[in-house]
Amino acid sequence: MALSLDELKAAIIDKATTAPKPQLYVKDFYACDPDAKPRAIKNAANELVKEGKMVFWSSGSTTMYAMKNRAKDEETREA
Amino acid sequence: MPKHDTPLLDQLESGPWPSFVSDLKRQAEKSPQCWDILGQLELSFKDRITHWKHGGIVGVFGYGGGIVGRYSDVPTQFPGVAHFHTVRLNQPSSKFYSSAKLRDICDLWEKYGSGMTNMHGSTGDLVLLGTTTANLEPLFYDLTHDLKQDLGGSGSNLRTPECCLGRARCEWGCYDTQALCHHLTMHYQDEIHRPAFPYKFKFKFSGCPNDCVAAIARSDFAVIGTWRDDIRVNQAEVKGYINGDYAPNAGAHSGRDWGKFDIKKEVLDLCPTGCMSMSGDELKIDNSECTRCMHCINVMPRALRPGKEQGATICVGAKAPILDGAQFATMTIPFIKVDPENEFEEVIEVIEKIWDWWMEAGKNRERVGETIMRLGLPTFLKVMEVEPIPQHVKEPRSNPYVFWESDEVEGGFERDVKEFRKRHAQ
Ligand code: SF4
Ligand code: SF4
Repeated sequence: MALSLDELKAAIIDKATTAPKPQLYVKDFYACDPDAKPRAIKNAANELVKEGKMVFWSSGSTTMYAMKNRAKDEETREA
Repeated sequence: MPKHDTPLLDQLESGPWPSFVSDLKRQAEKSPQCWDILGQLELSFKDRITHWKHGGIVGVFGYGGGIVGRYSDVPTQFPGVAHFHTVRLNQPSSKFYSSAKLRDICDLWEKYGSGMTNMHGSTGDLVLLGTTTANLEPLFYDLTHDLKQDLGGSGSNLRTPECCLGRARCEWGCYDTQALCHHLTMHYQDEIHRPAFPYKFKFKFSGCPNDCVAAIARSDFAVIGTWRDDIRVNQAEVKGYINGDYAPNAGAHSGRDWGKFDIKKEVLDLCPTGCMSMSGDELKIDNSECTRCMHCINVMPRALRPGKEQGATICVGAKAPILDGAQFATMTIPFIKVDPENEFEEVIEVIEKIWDWWMEAGKNRERVGETIMRLGLPTFLKVMEVEPIPQHVKEPRSNPYVFWESDEVEGGFERDVKEFRKRHAQ
């Protein structure tokens, strides 16, 4: 049985908070609910960004997700 | 912002061709941060390494694409490019603009950015180079409210779809490229503005196999116009070419005297499948062997035209050489109707089948073409529910073994290894 949207969002936050790497690809969240379609996971992760809990980090060619407080911020990062 | 000494860059102005260095110097008179671009580039030439940091979390609210974060790693030396983000705008289909529109875009960019543009980027977008984080939201507001334009795609999003001039200017369009490009742009707004995939995904639409947007080389999903029936031949006009009444290639090679037009040398012998011949002064084409390469039609446009039963071929999986070298797209669906009446439902069905599979099977940062290479074309064709045909085969097989799937073999491949070894030990 697939998780509800709220359960899925909670599982994604849990993963993004506890994963050793602060920035994750959308596929890294697939394991949060093996029964959910990849598209449902992507939609839940994107909703968390809309809610301001997570942020996108993009190199320009690819995009990753991170908790707001864990993202690598280039603006403040030393070279 | 002061000028920097740029002896290495200055050399690039010395050739007979236009130089971006001269352009940047001219632009720097208006936008002084351009001096710092030149300074940083000079330093990169000296150090033999880029001084741009890769990526970032910049964007506009609600969007996860369209802005590419760029920061200098030597900001104290070059404060004008400390932030120097790229903005991608969704270009209109076929890139038709009024001059007023172009002026508005340039004015907007001089107000909020460096004034430097790259028109067009390889995905097709209008690329505006160089602005600060603080300017992004005001720029986006004016862009969407005053210019009624939108950002394009970047990152792991669907990239801004791109199409050739098609039927707007070209007699060879086998389907309405602009209609399909526009429809899919609107249909997939969410995928364009927010990341959706393991990696980038590009659509490109060419109206005929001349493929003016290089869809077969540069897109994950290339829709290339074609026809299913016979090339239309006007024998009287063929004679016109032979008699020298018309310039071949619509006069494109008329800068030099190539001698009298020779249909055998210039058309028949160059047909890649050798399916053309002359019977007296009548041109014959064995259409069952024609690969729709367009050569004969390009040479004699008055005499030959694509057939009447038109649609498109779908090729999947081209990419640039980041990993494993560059790759052309593989012909997947030989012919598909491209029908605006049913809102292109056949094409959409193919797209979603590919996405559903690739989102599941693709690895992080793996283009769909690489997933197909890794798992094999037979697997992909099965997913697409396409029967393999000879045209799917790139070359005759060199591997002498036939591979069977477990369910194609009586009893499958399950076996008792111990039993098997026992027999072999005898
Ligand atoms: S791809 Fe074909 S239809 Fe499109 S502009 Fe080029 S020649 Fe014309
Ligand atoms: S389109 Fe190409 S393959 Fe077909 S008949 Fe003309 S030259 Fe030959």
